Amino acid sequence: MMYKIENPYRPIKAEITEVISETPTIKTIRVEPKEPITFETGQFIELTIPGIGEAPFTPSSRPTIKDIMEITIMNVGKVTEKVHELKKGDIVGVRGPFGKGYPINRFKGKEILVVGGGCGFAPIRSLMYEFLDRSGEFKKLFFRGGCKTPQELLYRSEIEDNWAKREDLDIKLTVDKGDSGWKGNVGVVTTILDGVDMDYESGIAIVCGPPVMMKFSTKKLLEMGFKEENIYLSMEKNMSCGIGKCGHCRLGIYYVCKDGPVFSYDKIKNFPNIWD
Amino acid sequence: MQYISSSNFTKFLENLKNDYDVYIPIKKNDQYFYKKYIDFTDDIVISEVRAFEPLKSFFFRAREIVAENFKSDIPQKIQKPYCIVGVKACDLKGLQVQDYVFENHDYQDPFYINVRKNNLIISADCTSTIDTCFCLTLNVKPYPLENFDINLSVVREGFIFEVSSQKGQDLVEKYSFLFEEVKEEFISQRDKQREKVIKAVEENIKENNIPHQDSFKNIIERGYESNIWADEANNCVECGACNTICPTCHCFLLYDQKSENKMARLRIWDSCMIKDFAQVAGGANPRPELWMRLRNRFEKKFDFFPKVADIYACTGCGRCISACPAKIDIRKVLKRLVYDV
Ligand code: SF4
Ligand code: SF4
Ligand code: SF4
Ligand code: FES
Repeated sequence: MMYKIENPYRPIKAEITEVISETPTIKTIRVEPKEPITFETGQFIELTIPGIGEAPFTPSSRPTIKDIMEITIMNVGKVTEKVHELKKGDIVGVRGPFGKGYPINRFKGKEILVVGGGCGFAPIRSLMYEFLDRSGEFKKLFFRGGCKTPQELLYRSEIEDNWAKREDLDIKLTVDKGDSGWKGNVGVVTTILDGVDMDYESGIAIVCGPPVMMKFSTKKLLEMGFKEENIYLSMEKNMSCGIGKCGHCRLGIYYVCKDGPVFSYDKIKNFPNIWD
Repeated sequence: MQYISSSNFTKFLENLKNDYDVYIPIKKNDQYFYKKYIDFTDDIVISEVRAFEPLKSFFFRAREIVAENFKSDIPQKIQKPYCIVGVKACDLKGLQVQDYVFENHDYQDPFYINVRKNNLIISADCTSTIDTCFCLTLNVKPYPLENFDINLSVVREGFIFEVSSQKGQDLVEKYSFLFEEVKEEFISQRDKQREKVIKAVEENIKENNIPHQDSFKNIIERGYESNIWADEANNCVECGACNTICPTCHCFLLYDQKSENKMARLRIWDSCMIKDFAQVAGGANPRPELWMRLRNRFEKKFDFFPKVADIYACTGCGRCISACPAKIDIRKVLKRLVYDV
């Protein structure tokens, strides 16, 4: 008798239905999996480019939409380079979802501060959809986002035409270096965390972005009075199998692929070099 | 406990061939390799000491296809389950670690389980040692006490045949005509033999001054910032042999074959000593230096595994010592971590 367990290494076929250029180095691909894939915001998938390989990404679309998934990808590596060459109609593979997403239900009735940086915006957009769709369930929502330059600001029209106009969201953006058209703040993201009008002691902070940005944001949030267990971080490791077998993504006693990628700071703070 | 004569054991193996692909160690230039059993040739050695290759290679293959063209089926490669004869105690512990990883650590791996599930493990007492054997350090006795279906102890003109699973018991019943009662003198022969091998391993341990695992608690944490790592990693050439030869190492790489119109995904043994093992697509690498990767290898075995699975992921088999071209010696690293930090 053979075990009837799904083959966890098999990708599901998916068709690219649209490619959206977000910034000079970032594209969003919209894919239609041939078998439905549901995910929770914060979970990740492995994207296969046939004949090239796989890489992990966190979907940036609404988790409630089952037949279409959007993945925002920065051109940085072997697989991502190929992703940037993809066009409508191409076939890719999707495996997952893997890991544990954000414990949204634990955030009910609370004040929530979302801090995003750089390409860390991608998973955060999915999370923001979830928050905004259910905003009545939370006490108050804050969003603080930063990136290098205004050109690199992801989902700019979404943010300016939609998020910025919402009464139930307090939003502020910053860039490291502005340009003539930029009216927002200039400086790293930690400079716009001060003065967020919420109770830090009981509030939830969610940080997503490059490791340095997460490191300094966490430090700042702790100084402000956020509790370690209320700071949620999305850890980036070299995920491959997604199920805690291949060993590539170990962080202390955890595998980021199955135990994360979202961790509260108290869970990982004692491991050495977590930001490296 | 039964006795089986050598000639009856050959008959037993002959019968097993109907239901299993039987593998057995053969001796070649002082090394032992598993070979498919056809008939009982002179080079077959069931006792003596561990094989060159780690036992994991039967279940977690060095290279195998795990997905093809989006098809959901699990490619089935073996016709019959394996029966592996002459497995030594250290390798049984290695299998325990592999079982934990592929069967029990939250998710199951169908490839491993399919091959592992119906197999038959016929282990054997060690009757000699290699100078790198240090199993006793890790609380592994050089004769199997658990995790086997059948264990053999060589005695005069045959074996003491001990079963420890239902599968083993069923076979004894099915082939009861091949077995005899064990004579007292055989038991004392076995016990003497076991004593002798224990002494030999103890000698190895004494000679190299290897601390017992009871003193391993927190050695990684304590020695985390020490210069032992840089010192020991100095000559490492990043070949990965220490990982691939290790019976407990389980890390792998998913690798897609380059092809325009086909998707074939392989999984191959990987090594955490290789630079890009943990490097992310953007280029950031948590362990850019060799010594960090050496430290990580020890952290995985002596910190991670005891914390998540209550087991040190080392069997004391000594394979990594012989395999390392840079002569990096796990016994010495452990000794330094325990005594010098
Ligand atoms: S390490 Fe121990 S169990 Fe393994 S082969 Fe050597 S003596 Fe036998
Ligand atoms: S670390 Fe070395 S001695 Fe320990 S089990 Fe692995 S190969 Fe054998
Ligand atoms: S076998 Fe030796 S040289 Fe090769 S990677 Fe391991 S420690 Fe380095
Ligand atoms: S991705 Fe393989 S262990 Fe985490």
